[in-house]
Amino acid sequence: MSESVIGVSRPRVDAPDKVTGATHFAADGHVHGLLHARLVLSTEAHALLQRVERDAALAMPGVVAVLTADDLPLASAGSDRTTEPLARTEVVFAGQPVALVVAESEAAAEDAVEAVVVEYEPLPAVVDVEDAMLPGRALARVLEEDAGGGDLESIHAGVDKGQEDGEEEQLSGNVLDTVHRNAGDATALLETSDVVVSGTFRTPWVYQAYIEPQVATAWLEPNETLVVSTSTQGSFVTQRELARAFGLPLERIRVIAEPLGGAFGGKLALMEPLAAGAALALRRPVRVVLTRAEDFQATNPASAQVTHLKIGARKDGTLTAIAARMIVDRGSNAGWGVEGITSLLVAGPYRWEAHEIRGYGVQTNRFTFGAYRGPGAPTAAFALETLMDELAVELELDPLELRLQNAVVEDDVGVSGNPFPRMGAVEVLERIRTHPLWQSRDSLPDNEGVGLAAGYWPGGNEPAAAVCRVNQDGTMTVVTSAVDMSGVNTGFAAIAAETFGLSPDQVRVVAADTATGPYSGASGGSKVTYTVGKAVLKAAEAAREKLLAAASDELEIAPADLEVVDGVVRAVGAPDHSITVAEISGKALRFGGRYEPIEGHGGSAQTRGAPSVAAHLAHARVDRETGEITLLAHVIAQDVGRALNPALVEGQMRGGAAQGIGWALYEELVHDENGQLLTGSFLDYAIPLAERVPDIDTLIVEVPAPDGPFGAKGIGEAPVIAAAPAIANAVAAAVGIRLRELPMTAPRVWATLEESGA
Amino acid sequence: MEHVRPSTLDEALEGLAAPDAKALAGGQSLLPVMKLRIVRPSVLVDIGRLELGGVHMSENELRLGALTTWNELESAQELERPALAALAECASGIGDLQVRNRGTLGGSLAHADPASDMPAVVLALGAQIVLRAASGERTVSAEEFFLGPFTTALGPAELITEVVFPLVEGSGSAYVKVEHPASGFALAGAAAVVRPDGGQSVALTGMGGQAFLLASDANPVDALPDAEIYGDRFAPVEYRRHLAGVVARRALDRARERMEGTGE
Ligand SMILES: Cc1cc2nc3c(=O)[nH]c(=O)nc-3n(C[C@H](O)[C@H](O)[C@H](O)COP(=O)(O)OP(=O)(O)OC[C@H]3O[C@@H](n4cnc5c(N)ncnc54)[C@H](O)[C@@H]3O)c2cc1C
Repeated sequence: MSESVIGVSRPRVDAPDKVTGATHFAADGHVHGLLHARLVLSTEAHALLQRVERDAALAMPGVVAVLTADDLPLASAGSDRTTEPLARTEVVFAGQPVALVVAESEAAAEDAVEAVVVEYEPLPAVVDVEDAMLPGRALARVLEEDAGGGDLESIHAGVDKGQEDGEEEQLSGNVLDTVHRNAGDATALLETSDVVVSGTFRTPWVYQAYIEPQVATAWLEPNETLVVSTSTQGSFVTQRELARAFGLPLERIRVIAEPLGGAFGGKLALMEPLAAGAALALRRPVRVVLTRAEDFQATNPASAQVTHLKIGARKDGTLTAIAARMIVDRGSNAGWGVEGITSLLVAGPYRWEAHEIRGYGVQTNRFTFGAYRGPGAPTAAFALETLMDELAVELELDPLELRLQNAVVEDDVGVSGNPFPRMGAVEVLERIRTHPLWQSRDSLPDNEGVGLAAGYWPGGNEPAAAVCRVNQDGTMTVVTSAVDMSGVNTGFAAIAAETFGLSPDQVRVVAADTATGPYSGASGGSKVTYTVGKAVLKAAEAAREKLLAAASDELEIAPADLEVVDGVVRAVGAPDHSITVAEISGKALRFGGRYEPIEGHGGSAQTRGAPSVAAHLAHARVDRETGEITLLAHVIAQDVGRALNPALVEGQMRGGAAQGIGWALYEELVHDENGQLLTGSFLDYAIPLAERVPDIDTLIVEVPAPDGPFGAKGIGEAPVIAAAPAIANAVAAAVGIRLRELPMTAPRVWATLEESGA
Repeated sequence: MEHVRPSTLDEALEGLAAPDAKALAGGQSLLPVMKLRIVRPSVLVDIGRLELGGVHMSENELRLGALTTWNELESAQELERPALAALAECASGIGDLQVRNRGTLGGSLAHADPASDMPAVVLALGAQIVLRAASGERTVSAEEFFLGPFTTALGPAELITEVVFPLVEGSGSAYVKVEHPASGFALAGAAAVVRPDGGQSVALTGMGGQAFLLASDANPVDALPDAEIYGDRFAPVEYRRHLAGVVARRALDRARERMEGTGE
């Protein structure tokens, strides 16, 4: 065999086009007769829509239409963003789209937006999520609408809702969902534990901050097929959502996922209903492109959360019980929230003898909640890993040894009630233990500290299929409908090349759409390499069988005695007896050809999860006078199953850690008491700029996933999770204070230092 | 909206005589506010082609043309001396490289954003600002120039042409700020000058409506009453007041180190 392509770093297959500007993004496509839509956004957080005055806008040059919800051919009532892309009668957050101005040019549409006058009858804005839960409180939505019932929740991580709840808690109608996970008598166990620590932790709304704002274009083909070309994480899920919105059969909707300019969970069927609705109403092509300001206001960031957490342990460091009450601010999202997943992940990669965990999904008049890399996980880890550190201090145990002692191993039953699959929690902690930064933690200058934290992501599953086609020249084309996010296509090329016997540069990966491609779920939930990658592997195997059958015929050697190396089929042990893949394919793909096309179809239906776990070390310096935190170094050790392409894996680890640094120190969407967004631009909303992110040391740990392609597992979400608590623990090590709220901004750090007198 | 790009100062001043005309320099402040539709000029007079650039050093003064960019200030070798170190130090902390390649000294002073950095340096160094209108030229001191948030002594059809800094041999200067985490503007910034005769000047920016020179005996922490200190979530009043003391002390220390040759 030639050298394996698995485990070898290679550039991303999409890199040259992206670097040279050749990539065609969703806003770049030329569509004949295209109209441009701009959104009229609600200026009120909560109000009844009285009137939309459109005459002045319609009178402006180039303006074609001003559309409100009634003008869109929506199928049914509903209060999610799919079924209610424009507010009908009740506005539920500031920035909610209330009308679309459609014009011959973007400029004309933008000018006309100002001329649309919307009259509101204001209602009280519900912005305090904890207060909103109390019985009798004002509701964030006063008119009854059907809650919808879309398909979007399952994309990220299918988690159950825990046990049926026997006890009745008095809650307001703002509480849309409750989750109860419980085993053993956590309350009693906490009372008798040697050490108990507790705290209330707050995390804000956080924006995905993808480079490419949301964009979708829609038009009708002469045969009435609705075509939507869009920047999305999933074509099939978007197709289903559009069918639900407009009551159309699936076959009448074709969704084309264009190359993605970043998404991180935020691009799932948000703009498509608007573009499609306008195209259906006007029977002309319509494009919606958000400006950055609109994208800040009108999209679906990660929800804010309040976590009350208490954990206990015995003197010897054995964890006893965990009790949590987790309040998730869903904003206007009636369809789903992260209370299910966050109430699972708050237990961390540790064993507990008893647990009592409640999660609440609460509506408020803030945004629409959406997914963001590891939904619900960074928030859960911030709470748990801070308390784990405090527990170590109380127990006078080393924080790493405490975690190691309690880390789950295969078959330990988690708070989901299910046994953990094999996951490298122990392995990543052991890798950190020997790192020089951890070794040097007690000999740092004043006001510097090193903090540790760990967190895992369960991963997701969804059946998927792929096709591997060998071309006449012996190269291979891999066809999937997965959106190339975080480099998955590059992984597919390696999987197909290794399985079939080509070099990766002989493999092209193309994205098909809902009309032409094999099925794939949305890119999200850290499931694409694990599920679609597995389908690619099987498709390549199937193609290889066809190849060997034909080669066997040509060489008169049994298939079992043949091998494929770098595009050549040869007899094992007698390499002179050979024929190239190109020759065989040439004999197949021609008039009167002798062989079936060398082409394979493969599918996967993973049932076992393949969780990925990561441990972080952060080295921080605190300026006691200003409260500013400077990160000096950051280390991440992650169990990635098998690093198909280490360079890409490290890129994911670095990017995740950087976004975790954003959670820790910078990012916060803030509303005032009236629900008006105060941080709606990059002049107010801080993200971790390159100059503020230290070198991130990446330690790849490989604990193979039994069902993954070559042992690979999903790795995209795990690296963001525990970065923030590692930094918080570093701050504690540096100056002895514990922050209970993210981000740890300079004024917060300063105020906490002042209070503590430290 | 009309866009003109004059090649002489007189033509530019003529263009600015139109009602609601605006000068355009680097565009780093004007274009963002136009994009937000807060400012809608009738005529945009692009002054980029005028000969208003350059770093001119003589024996006892430094003259900086209004179109001098932050990047030019950062990299000008003439400014690498303790007495003027605050200029490059301040310029290098403004925005990002793209902003510093476009943004100009004159534009920043004329815009007079209360959180902008350079006003503090101009004040502490005791600069004179040279203004030109069709009716002629006048010079105002930095202290007379800043009148309030986004408000200056500049007339509607007047341009800054130069900023003149007296050279005090043997002095040291520095600029220190605590940055807004998103915009990078000053939550609190201090420029300090320390002179061999024992004199010193400190100017603060980011604290309230405008940058200001601290009275020689004033404690920076008490320089402004609460009502005049800006307070927001990025810097509540109490924190900003506290920061004034920190940045002023750090700037003075660094200026002194430079003067004494003990710093970098
Ligand atoms: C991303 C970003 C980050 C930034 N960060 C900072 C920062 O950290 N600190 C900071 O201080 N600033 C910052 N700025 C602002 C920046 O420094 C601007 O360059 C500067 O404020 C304006 O200079 P300009 O040449 O671009 O002026 P313009 O934008 O062209 O003009 C600004 C105003 O000044 C007027 N004007 C311009 N030149 C003259 C003249 N010669 N005479 C009279 N009037 C004139 C214009 O009519 C206009 O009203 C930032 C800007 C951006 C976009």
